[in-house]
Amino acid sequence: MDWKSRGESPEAWHMTDDLHAEKGKGDPFAAAIRATRMAMIITDPRHDDNPIVFANDSFLKLTGYERDEVIGNNCRFLQGPDSNPEAINSIRQAIKERRAVNVDILNYRKDGSTFWNALYISPVSNEAGELQFYFASQLDITERKRAEEHAIREKDRFEKAVAERTSELQDALEAKTALLHEVDHRVKNNLQMVSSLIVMQARAIPDENIRQSLQDMLARVEALATVHRRLYQSDDVARFEVSDFLKDLVGDVVAASKYAKMETRFELDSVEITASRAAPLALIVNELVTNALKHAFDGQDYPILTTRIAKTDGWLRIEIEDNGSGMGEPDTSGSFGTRLIQSLSRQLKAQISWNDIAPGTRAVIELPQDDAPKQPSP
Amino acid sequence: MEPLKVIIVEDEALLAMELESLLEDSGNIVVGWATNFAEAKALVDESSADLAFVDLNLADGPTGLRIAEYIRDAGRSLAVFMTANPRSLPENYAGAIGVIEKPYTMNGLMAALVYLKEGVREPPPASSLPVGFVLSPHYASQWATR
Repeated sequence: MDWKSRGESPEAWHMTDDLHAEKGKGDPFAAAIRATRMAMIITDPRHDDNPIVFANDSFLKLTGYERDEVIGNNCRFLQGPDSNPEAINSIRQAIKERRAVNVDILNYRKDGSTFWNALYISPVSNEAGELQFYFASQLDITERKRAEEHAIREKDRFEKAVAERTSELQDALEAKTALLHEVDHRVKNNLQMVSSLIVMQARAIPDENIRQSLQDMLARVEALATVHRRLYQSDDVARFEVSDFLKDLVGDVVAASKYAKMETRFELDSVEITASRAAPLALIVNELVTNALKHAFDGQDYPILTTRIAKTDGWLRIEIEDNGSGMGEPDTSGSFGTRLIQSLSRQLKAQISWNDIAPGTRAVIELPQDDAPKQPSP
Repeated sequence: MEPLKVIIVEDEALLAMELESLLEDSGNIVVGWATNFAEAKALVDESSADLAFVDLNLADGPTGLRIAEYIRDAGRSLAVFMTANPRSLPENYAGAIGVIEKPYTMNGLMAALVYLKEGVREPPPASSLPVGFVLSPHYASQWATR
């Protein structure tokens, strides 16, 4: 560099070499360091205990010390009882190994107040590679640390609140589940008692027709019992699996009839409906199967009953098909069974038809899978 | 097949009565009816029953499980649970053969009786597993041939 051409004293550069000089008038870098808002110090490891040999005004302002209280001392006077030990250790280690270090450390001002210091220390060596100084800069990051700590505290508080609420909801769910199971248990037991009452009453009645009526009533109650045995078996208590249930129901009605040994065929898609619609559907299917067993198979040497369920486009199609005498819609007399089918179909928004498939009759129930009605598929 | 000698452990009189009729109609012998643990224990000790139908919740609380354990440890009879709450049973079914789920149908119960008679007298049962009857894992590995 050509100092003369700038009209400055050639001494100026050397003046900045003398770190004890407070005014390096000639050197713009020294001037910058003295005047910057960034607190900076230089220490001299060639003296005992690596004392501070230079401190700029920002450092004095940050720490609250006078210059003569600082110069000649090791900068550990900035540390205090709450200074984070891991930061102190990493500084110590870096100095020992003569390498740069960047740590956040809790420091103390002269008045005892604390501040978070983003400390950066780097060694300065001469051209021969000999260690000359350590250069350190300090940045007050108390606000940032405070915000971080606040954020962490808020997060902990929030997580605790969420955990408490989750636990409350868990307890409420468990209580609700326990209640559901208790009610379910009672409903099942009561259905069992209703069945038992009917069976016992039927046993005591000599009149064949009345006894048959009670048998029909038992079949209806047992259709409901079969629904309840299968309710709440899935994870979603509001849904009811139809196909397994149909197999249970039809199998049971057939086995309880005089055609217990007949062939039953099942072609069942896996279909779910809302649990509240299971009971009316069960009663309809029970009536259709019971009708087929009562009327269809007289004179048929090899009776077959086929049950199908298929789902298309939001509609369920359930078919109960016999290979019997093909009497079509079996009962138009307005009997209780027929009225039951009609009322329950209305409730389910279902349509029921009977088709002559010679030999035999196919009863078809078409109903929307969900409660919302749609137009029947063609 | 020789008739089964059966103990009924059920606190609902109606259900016990009905079960007794069905058992006798199907050619089996009811040796006693208990409504709590003490009565059940006495019946197990006194009689040489083949089978005990045990409800889980009885007059003295949910003691059905303890009764099944007592029957298992006594080693002379076999237990079958009858309950509306089969999911509360432990994995090992306390040594019981299985569970008849309430509400059962008359046909389902009759089929279970036939199945159990075959299983006790000439295991494994020739009939298929009735609807509403669930075998314990142990008996499932022994009996479930179909």
